[in-house]
Amino acid sequence: MQIVSFLFERHIEKTVLAVAVIISVVLLTRPDDSTVAAGRVISSYLLYPVDQAGRYIGSLEELREENRRLRRLVVSLNHEKELLLQFREERNRLRELLGFRRDGFWEFLPCEVIARSSSRYHSSITLDRGADAGVRPGMPVVGYRGLVGRVTQVFPSSSRALLLNNKSVQVSCLVKRSRVVGVLGWERGNLFRLDFVGREEDIHPGDTLVTSGLGRVFPKGFPVGTVFQVTADKTELSRRIGVVSMTDLNRLEEVFIITGGREWESGEIWLELQELDRSGASGPARGGSGE
Amino acid sequence: MRFILRIVLAALVVFVLQVTVAHRLAVIGAVPDLVLVLLAVLVIDRGPVIGVVAGFLLGFLQDLGNAELLGMNALAKSVVGYGIARFGGDYLPDNPLFRGLLVFAAALANDVIVLNISRSFDAADVVTTFLRSSLLSGIYTAVLAVVVIQVVRLLPGRVVRPGGRY
Repeated sequence: MQIVSFLFERHIEKTVLAVAVIISVVLLTRPDDSTVAAGRVISSYLLYPVDQAGRYIGSLEELREENRRLRRLVVSLNHEKELLLQFREERNRLRELLGFRRDGFWEFLPCEVIARSSSRYHSSITLDRGADAGVRPGMPVVGYRGLVGRVTQVFPSSSRALLLNNKSVQVSCLVKRSRVVGVLGWERGNLFRLDFVGREEDIHPGDTLVTSGLGRVFPKGFPVGTVFQVTADKTELSRRIGVVSMTDLNRLEEVFIITGGREWESGEIWLELQELDRSGASGPARGGSGE
Repeated sequence: MRFILRIVLAALVVFVLQVTVAHRLAVIGAVPDLVLVLLAVLVIDRGPVIGVVAGFLLGFLQDLGNAELLGMNALAKSVVGYGIARFGGDYLPDNPLFRGLLVFAAALANDVIVLNISRSFDAADVVTTFLRSSLLSGIYTAVLAVVVIQVVRLLPGRVVRPGGRY
């Protein structure tokens, strides 16, 4: 009784602080169990409607203009895609002749960023697609320009992705031009460094880095960043290589989760263009259909 | 009971604003810590016990919105809530300048704790990040807190105690 009186009557302030600190430390050291996961689900439900309402009110005119711009872009890209498909088919035929596996296409699930990390030192984003849309932990997340991160937590209608600008994330990359392999790690902002590259390797400022696919954490061939600095390391054994990311990781609004691969279905372009025509696209759509 | 309800409601609103709007308010890359602003408004003259409890609840809610390290913000905000309530209530004169300095110090203390935990006590990394982003964010948060506290004091129905406290 004397101890209780000492703690809760004479030193109530320090006792409450000590209790809060102890609970926090316990939380920091215990694994992410189902109770904690439930709390995270509630917070994700809370964010979704608020963000959606704000976006709807603020972006109607912006969406109309973006829609017009994207329609023009779709027509042009479809034309280009058809040409590339012909090259791909040719490439696949040659690969088959050599006994390699056929290339597939990635399935992209478009998502909107509904929240960012509430901490300034943990770069993660909350996306508006979750388990209901087939999202699973570990799926890669890409932006319009390249890789941005990986899904770490999945809730029924949302998910959370850890971005590349995080100390705990490292990506195996290769230089697109010379195929030199290194490991990419975050430094600050949108700047990264490429480690484990020997001093004699062929790498220059301006080179593009793409994912290597090694370890199968991230799929091969997605752009990650551009080399902007190559200097000698103190040890003289390797080089210090500065890389700036392709995507501005602090300004993500729309991203795509790679949910899997598939074979391309013939006639798909034609169906897409027909759909575009029905929704009021202009004349050049027919011209780019490859009839 | 009304005070706790008010904390919960305000915490939910501020939490949503922190993760959806705060990054759009960035000035020269500095993002304000809206949760800390709310904590300062709530506890600056409520006493250390309320400071710790409110700090812990707000920090825990913030942790739920993060991808990892549950308990990090709860720990930081508990300690900071205690400090704000202790020094804001008893030791500092009741004027905007001192309130701003108090919140600035609280923001820096918060960042020191959070950075050390999130960077696994890597001193070089902590110091670099602290100098690069915490100082500016701390100033931004302090200015915002002073403005919000002044606005809250002007709201109708506030009972202002002697010395300007409510």
